[in-house]
Amino acid sequence: MAGLRPIKFRLLELFSDEKEHWNNEIVVQVQKEYNMNNNFGRDSINFDILELVSGGMLKSVESKVDEEGVYKKGFLLHKYVITDFGKVRASDACLEYV
Amino acid sequence: MDIRELKKLENKRKMNKGYMWALFCAILWGIWYIPGTIIWAVPPFDAMWINIADPTGAGTYENGTAATLVVAVLISAFNALTVILALLVWNGVLGKFGEMTRTLKEFHPCSKWFFLASIFGGPMAILGSFIAIGFIGAGFAAVAALLYPVIGSILARQWYGEQISKRAWMGILVIIVGGLTIFVGGAIAEISAGSINYIGYVGGLMAALGWGIEGAIAGKGLDIAEPDVGITLRFLGENLIWWIILVPAVALAGYPVFEYAIAAFNPLSIMVLGFAGITFGYCYVSWYKSFPLIGVGRGQGIGNLYGLCAVIFMYLFLAQVPAWTVLVGGALCVLGSFVMISEEASEESLR
Repeated sequence: MAGLRPIKFRLLELFSDEKEHWNNEIVVQVQKEYNMNNNFGRDSINFDILELVSGGMLKSVESKVDEEGVYKKGFLLHKYVITDFGKVRASDACLEYV
Repeated sequence: MDIRELKKLENKRKMNKGYMWALFCAILWGIWYIPGTIIWAVPPFDAMWINIADPTGAGTYENGTAATLVVAVLISAFNALTVILALLVWNGVLGKFGEMTRTLKEFHPCSKWFFLASIFGGPMAILGSFIAIGFIGAGFAAVAALLYPVIGSILARQWYGEQISKRAWMGILVIIVGGLTIFVGGAIAEISAGSINYIGYVGGLMAALGWGIEGAIAGKGLDIAEPDVGITLRFLGENLIWWIILVPAVALAGYPVFEYAIAAFNPLSIMVLGFAGITFGYCYVSWYKSFPLIGVGRGQGIGNLYGLCAVIFMYLFLAQVPAWTVLVGGALCVLGSFVMISEEASEESLR
């Protein structure tokens, strides 16, 4: 159930569909689910994604500059996909990974 | 600027943030040795040591070793208590109590790693450090643990394949040689004075092993937990170990620890313990926050600058004058850190 698991679990769960997702879209979705609708919440969720990338569980497949300011104007947006290691950690975390 | 350069810049920024956290850790950890030293001379811990060491009042101090160990246990327990208070304030300010509850509930995949880390970090590393302070001195205790990044780096590599570049290894090795210069210099002076205190050295070894193993285990938990929350759970575990298991065990062994624990609620003791809790709590927050960004090996390597910081702070506040070996070793520590920091961050992943 959404909102009941730690945020990094939820992030891995969202990426477990093995599709590519833009970080800003995932951040907005998690912000809504966890009721973290402020800039601090946004940056904190994005930082969790960065930590997952740093830990080798997600990898960036595409990047673009945020020209329109959909997330933060002038910053880089990243499209991430789950890695094999990410899938292992996701299933360790008892996710319903298929 | 093209996308590739922007990505490189973003990655560099992330690494710098990680190094910054690790540096905060080193500074706060170094400051912690001040309250960690003073607390032994503060009531009731000073009287506690004398009463246990010399119960008959004959001035023979026949139970000196046991007294130092029992006082180290009680000080470590109080240190854990004030650290968890500092961490709860930190999480409260960041609004992370919800995330903490969610993470705590996930025992099997997640919080068990932090509880495991608390065993190695608490009764092994922190108690070991206080034993080293009690038997030999804070300067020794601070540098004795300097080998811990080697243990942490090797374990992180073996357990979950953390990549450590040649340059990072070089930096870690220079820092360690620096640490050993400080350490061996002190040990030689002690040997020549003929007053080697073996239990103190065991304490130093406990600290090095404990912190190294803790870091590697925590790295595993931090894959899927937020660092602020992870460190708080780790100290929750440590408090349970002290106050539910070890302090009652010492009481059952016949030592009046509870009596002295109550006596510790005096203004001076609360102030010194509070200072210890704040410095140690936030140093640990910084340590855990650096791991996901720069890896356990680098985080511990830079965190190791605490040895140098401790020597500097002890000189400034407690007038403990460092030997020349300390200065040479300290310079090597700084050099090693610069070797690591100057590394080009090309990969986005640490694995």
